[in-house]
Amino acid sequence: MATPVTCMDKPVATKSGSASNARPPRAPRPPRPNFRHIHQFPLPVNVHHVPPVIPHNPLSLISVALSYLTFLISPPRQEVYSAYFDKATSSIHVTDERSINALWQMGFFGKGSLSRSEPSWLAREKKRRGLHNEKTSEEITRLRRTERRELKLERARMEKLAIEERLKAEAAARESVASEPLDEAAQSTPSDDTTNVTATTTEKFSLKKAKEARVLEARQARELAAQNAALAEENQPETPSSSKSVRFSSVVQKKEFLSTSPSSLQVPDSVVDSLDVDDFPNEEHLQLSNEEAFFLAYSLGALQIYDSPLKSEEDQPISPITTSALLQKFCHHSFQPARDGSASLQPDDPFMTSYAVYHHFRSLGWVIRSGVKFGTDYLLYNRGPVFSHAEFAVIVIPSYSHPYWSETEERKNYTAEKQARSWWWMHCVSRVQAQVLKSLVVCYVEVPPPAASIEDIGALFGQYKVREFLIKRWIPNRTRD
Amino acid sequence: MADADEDAIRAPENASTQPEVDLSDETQDFRFLNHLNFFADSSPGIPRRGEKDFEPNPTELQADVLSASRGAMHNALSYPRLHAAKTRVIGFYAPDGYVPPAPTESPTPKAGGADGKSSDSTPKPARPLPNSARISPDACVYVTNPKGQFFKTMGQADSSSRVWLLPEEALYLIERGSLDIRWPSPSGSVAGPGEEDLSVPMSLQAAYSCFMGRGGLTLERYSVYTGLRRLGYALVRAPGWCDDIEKQDAEASDASDITSPKLHGPGLAGILGSLFNWIHDPRSTASTATGPIIGTGIHRHYMDVYRKLAIIPWYDPVTAPERHTSDTTPPFRVVFHIYKPSTPFKKSTPPTPDFRIAVVSTRDQTTMPTMTQLGALLESTPLDPPRGEKMDRMMYMRLRHGYRNVVMAVVDQGVVSYLRIADSAFGKEKLYENKGGPQGPKRNRANQKSRKR
Repeated sequence: MATPVTCMDKPVATKSGSASNARPPRAPRPPRPNFRHIHQFPLPVNVHHVPPVIPHNPLSLISVALSYLTFLISPPRQEVYSAYFDKATSSIHVTDERSINALWQMGFFGKGSLSRSEPSWLAREKKRRGLHNEKTSEEITRLRRTERRELKLERARMEKLAIEERLKAEAAARESVASEPLDEAAQSTPSDDTTNVTATTTEKFSLKKAKEARVLEARQARELAAQNAALAEENQPETPSSSKSVRFSSVVQKKEFLSTSPSSLQVPDSVVDSLDVDDFPNEEHLQLSNEEAFFLAYSLGALQIYDSPLKSEEDQPISPITTSALLQKFCHHSFQPARDGSASLQPDDPFMTSYAVYHHFRSLGWVIRSGVKFGTDYLLYNRGPVFSHAEFAVIVIPSYSHPYWSETEERKNYTAEKQARSWWWMHCVSRVQAQVLKSLVVCYVEVPPPAASIEDIGALFGQYKVREFLIKRWIPNRTRD
Repeated sequence: MADADEDAIRAPENASTQPEVDLSDETQDFRFLNHLNFFADSSPGIPRRGEKDFEPNPTELQADVLSASRGAMHNALSYPRLHAAKTRVIGFYAPDGYVPPAPTESPTPKAGGADGKSSDSTPKPARPLPNSARISPDACVYVTNPKGQFFKTMGQADSSSRVWLLPEEALYLIERGSLDIRWPSPSGSVAGPGEEDLSVPMSLQAAYSCFMGRGGLTLERYSVYTGLRRLGYALVRAPGWCDDIEKQDAEASDASDITSPKLHGPGLAGILGSLFNWIHDPRSTASTATGPIIGTGIHRHYMDVYRKLAIIPWYDPVTAPERHTSDTTPPFRVVFHIYKPSTPFKKSTPPTPDFRIAVVSTRDQTTMPTMTQLGALLESTPLDPPRGEKMDRMMYMRLRHGYRNVVMAVVDQGVVSYLRIADSAFGKEKLYENKGGPQGPKRNRANQKSRKR
């Protein structure tokens, strides 16, 4: 809304002057790493392309034959990573640095235990100790949040200022009216102009304006400080504290301090000296969800999962958990508290349905990650979180349409309870997804009747069936055209 | 990630670009009503809304703005609403529903008094209208002198050119002040056009008690009807209106078993490729029983890996058979066909509806539909696959559009929220075959700022 500068803007506008429409200079972003190269492989599986055969070029046949010959002589080995199951967190831990990087870079599996998603604790820690100065994503976010909060406070402050200004003007008007009642016609009373003027006077300060004002203020403060410094050279006892024309309230200053303190927390020098700065252990590990781990182990065969952390490299007396045992374990741990090992496997164990959905979307090429931050079960990324935002948020609901589930009254009640989702819950989820610009996918998984054996995992999952519904709020006002 | 912004602020200037901001949710500033001129012929366009204060402050300005807004609203409300004799439409209540016109009665209404001129102007059918059979048995109000725009989309005429209105149509019109309904004359005979001066007008309260609950009209259905109607949509009852549709023969239910998952055929790998592939063929070590599904050999291409991974069956809306309305369970059933205001609508031959809507009361049906109920509801609608050049280009749009769709109106004690439910087949979109083309409408960076990862 392009509105003329009104009296309410005065304290800002007069100061800003000609610079008011110039955008504040923005710090250039650090160059992004080459994600295309880092994440070129969609899955942690080695793929060896066959050289193309060109019919009219017989030489190409030779290259093909050559490549096959090399494979025949020395077959390349598929990398198998190892991890262990942690009972306390009921998740899979990967502690080997190389495996962590490989699993993250090829397919975005897991999350750093001390990071938001990509394991970056070591980098942050190094940064904190002043070893290198690349910004991690967490820091950038924190910085932006701090900035934003300050801008909000600034805006609130300017609004308050404007109200005060207005109150003063009104008081002055009242006084002048009282002293010179004849002048009333010239003075435009507020009630007259409310319909046309208020639209402009009540305009809110946008964040942009606040930002501009801030930059300007900082510049003026600098100039003032320079002046003060010049003055101080001549006149030593001059107080330099008058550098800021407008001061933050004590609350603002406190908040500012709080927000920056954890990042700028400095380890005392003596501590830094005593530590061996170059070499400290990485305290972070990669945490895989059970679905991710099962996918890696069962579907790709790229992960071996042990019952307990490996002691050392050389002795490996324990063998990895077999996939069927793994499935049982995960199913038992999909309940809270975990069921004991003797409990029989049910076809509607939460792990079974959630894995069916996980596998379904993975097999279609989506990068599927936990959606807990938006209150859903999963988020679907195209290629990966570093490339694009998630477009879809997935909710998993079991469905019991097989006749087995409606055979007895008991089963009917049980399934009705399992399928029940209230409308309030539904609206809550759909409004949150609309706010974060995701499309909500409600994924129903048809649960088969209990299977006789779980020996053939592929056949077991082949009985499940996935059906996706896209649910979106319909706004009749927008579809009228 | 670094670009994620989890503390999004909706700046006021962004509001218009946000597709999800619903203006009807906001408290309104009514001052714009002052600029509406009810008498001017040239429409000044829709007036702009003012800015909004979030909390009270002691300035006189705010108090003035508030009182000006209040005054404007009162001003608009105090505008005299009159029923001009010219536009007066009188209907008669027929408690027994549709009664075919008496054969003795002349098909042309007797012109009487002030009505003479207008009934002349209504087109008189030369022959009995053929659509008498289409008049719903639930129709309970007839109008002898239909005029005005409402009759373009409402009512059905019988052979004596009386227009019969359904309860919701009559109630909507009487609530709007566009219709004057009269009680039937005590003599018991169907009132003729000349008798209206003697008959007793029906109050709004009486209309509600007469029409609500009649022929399946619930308060929930009525609030959906009247809400959409006021927005300009045309609504027509769908075949699923009556809850007691007799079950169709069993063959329809058998058909649902046919829905077998479309499993993928052999890969696209060329003959030459397969010839070479026998060396270290991963398939030989592949096992879906204990894994790894993809085998441990040498993989030639990620596409092959993904194809092997497809072990979970999924629902294909294209091959699924269409089902009859009778297969649906009552609240989850299409009850209205909706036409946009821009859709040319003809009462005698309604076009394909723009939307189909099911009305659910949250107090009777406290939970979301199960997949069976939702599936039956969607399968009772015709296939509406994503079409068009834009859809072909953008995968996200295809997925969002889906293959079938239905609107569900969830009415919670008079508050209506609409949900569009689409059958989107993710399984039909092989993302791994996609080579990084454009997926959806490109958003400019400014908008993307507020998006979250």
